Amino acid sequence: MTTRAADLLILKAVRHGGPWLAALAVTALLGAAAELLLPLTLGRTVDALVAAGPGRERWLAATAALVALVVACDALGVLASGVSGARAALWLRGRVITHTLSVGTTMTRHFTPGELVTRAGVNAEEAGRTPEAVVTAAALIVPSAGSVAALALIDPWLAVTLVAGLLLIVAVLRAFMRSTTAASGGYQEAQGNIAARLVGALAGARTITAAGTEDQEARRVLAPLPVLRAHGLALWRLQARAGVQAAVVVPLLETAVLAVGGLRLSAGDLTVGELLAAARYVVLGAGLGSAIGYAGRLARARSAARRLDRLLAVPPPSYGSRPLPPGPGRLELKGVSVRADGARLLSDVDLVVPGGSCVAVVGCSGSGKSSLAAVAGRLLDPERGTVTLDGVPLHEVAREQLRRAVGYAFERPALFGETLGESIAFGPSESQMDRVRDAARAACADAFIRRLPLGYATPVGDAPMSGGETQRVGLARAFAQAERLLILDDAMSSLDTVTERQVSGALTGSLADRTRLVVAHRVATAARADQVVWLEGGRIRARGPHDLLWDDPGYRAVFQSASAPEASSQVAP
Amino acid sequence: MRAAVLPVVRRALTREPRRLLRLAGWSLAEAAPAFAGGHAVARAVDDGFAAGRPGTGLAWLAVLAAAWLVAAVAARQVLLLVAGIVEPFRDELLEIVVTGTLRAGRGGGTAAVARMNHQVELARDAFGAIITVVRSFTFTLVSVALGISTLAPAVLPLVLPPVAAGLALFLASLPALARRQRDFIVADERTAATVAAIASGLRDVTACGGEARVAAAAGREVTFQARAARALARVTATRTLALAVGGWLPVLLLLAGTPWLLERGLTGGVVLGALTYVMQSLTPALGGLVQGLGVSGVRLAVTLERIVDAAGPPVPHGTRAPEGARLELRGVGFAYGPAAQPVIDRLGLVVPDGGHLAVVGPSGIGKSTLAGLVAGLLRPAEGKVLIGGVPAAEVLPAARALIPQEAYVFHGTLADNLTYLAPGTPVEALDEAVAAFGLTELAQRFDGYDTQIDPAELSVGERQLIALARTYLSPARLVILDEATCHLDPAAEARAEAAFAARPGTLIVIAHRISSALRAQRVLVMDGTRVLMGRHEEMVAASPLYADLVGHWEGRGLPAGAVAENADLPAG
Repeated sequence: MTTRAADLLILKAVRHGGPWLAALAVTALLGAAAELLLPLTLGRTVDALVAAGPGRERWLAATAALVALVVACDALGVLASGVSGARAALWLRGRVITHTLSVGTTMTRHFTPGELVTRAGVNAEEAGRTPEAVVTAAALIVPSAGSVAALALIDPWLAVTLVAGLLLIVAVLRAFMRSTTAASGGYQEAQGNIAARLVGALAGARTITAAGTEDQEARRVLAPLPVLRAHGLALWRLQARAGVQAAVVVPLLETAVLAVGGLRLSAGDLTVGELLAAARYVVLGAGLGSAIGYAGRLARARSAARRLDRLLAVPPPSYGSRPLPPGPGRLELKGVSVRADGARLLSDVDLVVPGGSCVAVVGCSGSGKSSLAAVAGRLLDPERGTVTLDGVPLHEVAREQLRRAVGYAFERPALFGETLGESIAFGPSESQMDRVRDAARAACADAFIRRLPLGYATPVGDAPMSGGETQRVGLARAFAQAERLLILDDAMSSLDTVTERQVSGALTGSLADRTRLVVAHRVATAARADQVVWLEGGRIRARGPHDLLWDDPGYRAVFQSASAPEASSQVAP
Repeated sequence: MRAAVLPVVRRALTREPRRLLRLAGWSLAEAAPAFAGGHAVARAVDDGFAAGRPGTGLAWLAVLAAAWLVAAVAARQVLLLVAGIVEPFRDELLEIVVTGTLRAGRGGGTAAVARMNHQVELARDAFGAIITVVRSFTFTLVSVALGISTLAPAVLPLVLPPVAAGLALFLASLPALARRQRDFIVADERTAATVAAIASGLRDVTACGGEARVAAAAGREVTFQARAARALARVTATRTLALAVGGWLPVLLLLAGTPWLLERGLTGGVVLGALTYVMQSLTPALGGLVQGLGVSGVRLAVTLERIVDAAGPPVPHGTRAPEGARLELRGVGFAYGPAAQPVIDRLGLVVPDGGHLAVVGPSGIGKSTLAGLVAGLLRPAEGKVLIGGVPAAEVLPAARALIPQEAYVFHGTLADNLTYLAPGTPVEALDEAVAAFGLTELAQRFDGYDTQIDPAELSVGERQLIALARTYLSPARLVILDEATCHLDPAAEARAEAAFAARPGTLIVIAHRISSALRAQRVLVMDGTRVLMGRHEEMVAASPLYADLVGHWEGRGLPAGAVAENADLPAG
C-alpha cells in the first residue's frame, strides 16, 4: 500500500531536482545511443581508411562527432545527476527533519534515534538518487543489450559466447560474496576486541595518565593486532582468488570472440573494421552486469523512499490557537489515561495543582511518574481525559504560548545551541542574557560555567560536563523558560546533596511564584513540597503532605527501593 | 596532504624494499597483455586471418590468451603483495590512534573509538586502492609504449602526447577536486551529527518549543551539504574531460593519421593492433587512475589527517625523584581558560611528609582540579605545586598515585590488576593487601589471583577496592584518593582509609563523606570563594559551610524540615 505513496514521494523529490533531471535524461539517452553506434562507425572508418575508399573523411568526421558527443554527454550527465540528486536529497532531508521536529517526542516511539539518522542521511540520499539510478540503468542497458544484438548481427555465435561468459562472471561473484561475509566476521571480531580494550582503557584515562603507564596500556590494547592482521590477510587472499577469476573471464571472452571473428575474416565474411567493432561490443556487452547492479540500486531507492514515507506518515500533534488567560498556572488533570504499546502507564488520574504550589510526584519505577510529567506539559497527549492550564485544555493552546508557559527539566537533558549561554536560552525565542544568568544562578550552574574556558560563550562540545553539571544546565534552561509551570522529571538525581539542597532552596525561594511539579526519588525533595502525589501502577495511591504519608511503611519503602545506595544510607533511620 | 601524515605513508611504502621489488616484478607480468595485445592482434590479422592462414591467426590469439592467464596469476600475487603493504599500514594507524589517545590522557566513549576505527578502515582501503591504480597505470603505460614502439614506432607520437596532456589536465584538476571532496565529506558528517543531536533530543526540543530554531540550524547544514554536493558534481564533470583528452584523443589522432601510416607501409592489422593498445589497455588504466586517485586520494588525505590529529598533545611526564613526600602549594592559581574564572586562586598550603589531609566542598568547586594539580595532570598557571621540593609536573609518575572516582580495572588476571603499579610484588604482599581491603572473598570467588577477570562482572565497589589495593602496593609515597571510595559502604571506606593512613607516606583524601574529614589530621574546606584549612574542630567553628555539611551529613532519619531551608552557602 505504501509503494504508491513512496513512488509519489520520489516523483515530488524528482520535481525538486528541477530542469537538471531533463538534462540528465537527454544526455544519458543520447550518450547511450552514441556509445552503441561508436564501435560500428569506428570499424567502418578503419575499413574506409585501410581501403583508401572515397568516403573516408566523412567516416572519420562521423567518428569524431560521436566521440565528442559521448564525452559531452558523459560530462553533462555527471553534472546533471550530481546536481539533481543533491537537490532532491536536499528537499527530502528538509522534509524529514521538519516533519520529525513537528511530530516531536512522539516520533521516538516509532523510530529510534539511529533510525532517524539513517532516514535523513543514507535513505534521503538513496531516494534522491532514484532518477539517476533509473536513467543510468537505462543508459547502461541500451548499449550493453544493444551490443549483444550488434554482435548477434555480426555473428550469432559471438553473442552466444558472450552471454555464456557473463553468466560465468555472475556465478563467480556470487561465490565471492558468500565467502567474504564468513571471513569478515573474524576480522570485525578482532577489530571489536581492540576497540573494547581501548574503550576500557580510556575509561581509566585519569589513572593511566597519573601512573604514566600509557605505553604499557597501548601494548595491552594492541595485543590482538596479529589476529587482526591474520584475518585481514585471509580476506585479501579470498579477494585475490575471486577477483582474478572474474578479471580473467572478460579478456578470455574477448579473445574467444576475436578468434571466431578472425576465422570469419579468413573466410572473407568479415572486414578488419568489423573485427574491431566486434571486440569493442564485447567490452560494452560485458557492462550488462553493472546495468543489473543499477536495477538493484533502483530497488534500494524505492525501499528507501518507502522508509521515508513511513516516517512522514506519522501525524504531528495539532496545536490550537487559544491564548492563555492571565492566571497563576493552575494545573488540572481530569480522568487522564495514558497507554503505550498496549501497556497502561496512567489510569484515570485526577489531580489539581493549585497555582504557585509545589507538588512532588513519587513512586517506584514504572509507577507512571514520567508519564504524568509528560502529559502535564503536553509532551504526550493522554489517550483519555483532559489536562488544563489555567482553565484552557492544553491541546487548544498555541504552540509557542504553551512552551513559554511550561518549562521542563529532565534527568538527562539534551542541550541545543552553539554555546552554553545559548543552550540555556534555548526556546521559542531566545531568553535575555540576564534572565539566563539568573536562571543559571538558581540552578547552581553559574559558578561552574564562569570557570569554563570561555564562560557562557564556551561551545557546548568543548565543555566536558559531568552528569550533575549537565542536569544543572538543563534546570537553568527550564527556569529561564517557564512562565507558569515548571516540571522537573527526576532532574536533580545526579546532583550532590549540597547542590541539590541549594537548587531546592531556589525552587521554594526565587521560583516560588511558579507552579512546580517535581518527580523525585529523594525524601528531602518530597519533604519540601506542599503536597505529595504517590503513584503506584499508574494510579494515585495516596496524596497529601509528606509528614502524614511518612507514617505509611509502604510510602517509606518507595524511597528505599528507588534511591541510590549512598542516598539511602543517609536516609535510613 | 599535511606534512605530518607524509612520514606515515612513506614508512608504509619503504618498510620492506624487497617487497616493492617483487611488486614491480609481478606488476610487469600483470602488464603482459598490455604489451602483447597489440602485437598479437596485428600479427593474427596480418599473418593469419587476412593472409588466409587461420592457424597462424589462432596461434597468435592463443599467445594473447596465455598473456592474460599470466596476468591473472600475476594479479593475484600483486594483490597479496599490496596486502603486505596495506596491512602493516593499518597496524601503524591503529598504533597511532591507540597510543595517541592514551597519551593525551582524555577519556572517550565507545562512539569516539568506533569513529576512529572507521577512519582507520577507510584509510586502509583508500591506501590500497591508490597503490593499485597508480601502479597499474604506470606499468600499463610503460608496456603500451614498449609495445607500440616495437610494433610501429611511427604511432608513438600520435598516442603519447595526448595521454600526457590528459594526465596533466587531471593532475591539475586534482587539488580543486580534493577540496570539493573534502568539503563534501565534512558537510556530510556535520549533517549526520546535527540530525543525530536532534533525534536524541527530540523531547527537549518539543519541551522547549525550539522546533523552528533547530529546523533553521539543521536547514543551514543541509543546504550547505547540498551546495557541497553540487560543487563536487561540477568538478567531477570537468574531470571526465581529462579522460576524454587522454583516452579518446589518441584514437582520433590514430585514425586521422592512418592514411599517413599506410603510406609508410603499415598494414590494416597494425592499425588494429595500435587501436587495441589504446582502447584495450591504456584508456581503462587511465580511467582507473582518474577514478581511483580522485576519490581514494582525497579520502586517504582526510582520514590520515584526522587519525594523526585526533589525539591531541600527549601529557608530558616528569623524571625527577622527589625527596620525601612533603606537599607544598605556594600561591597556586588555575583556570581552564584565559576568559574563565579561576577555579583555584592563590592557594597556599603545606602537608608534611606522612601527613593526612581531607578536602571537603560541594561538587564542581575545584576539588578534582586540586587533585589534578597535585598529581601533575594539570599545571598551575601561577605559583608552585611542590612534592618533596620538586614541581609536581616534573615528578616521576611512580612517586605518587592518584585514584579517581572511576576505578580502573582492566581485562586481565587479578594479579595483573593488583601489581599494575608494582610488577613483581611477592604473593605474601598481595595476600596482605587483599586482606587489608576486604578482597579475600573476591579473590576466592575468582579461584585465586591468576584467573582472568571481566571488569563488567565486578561491582563498582569491588573495582574501587581493587584500585585501592593496587595503589596500596605501589611504591608511591604520595597518594591522592579523589572520591576513590564513593561506592564503598562507610565501614569499608573507613578500613581503606585506615590502611592508607598506616602506610608510610602522605595521604590526600578528596572526601565523599564527611567521615573522611573526621579521620584526617587536617581538613581543607573549599566553598568557592575562599579556602580554609585546619583541624576538624577548628573548621566547625571557622567555616559555616563545613559546620553545615557536618550537620547535614550526620543528619539521620531526615524528617521534613530537618534540612535548613536557607543553608548559609555562597551562591554557586
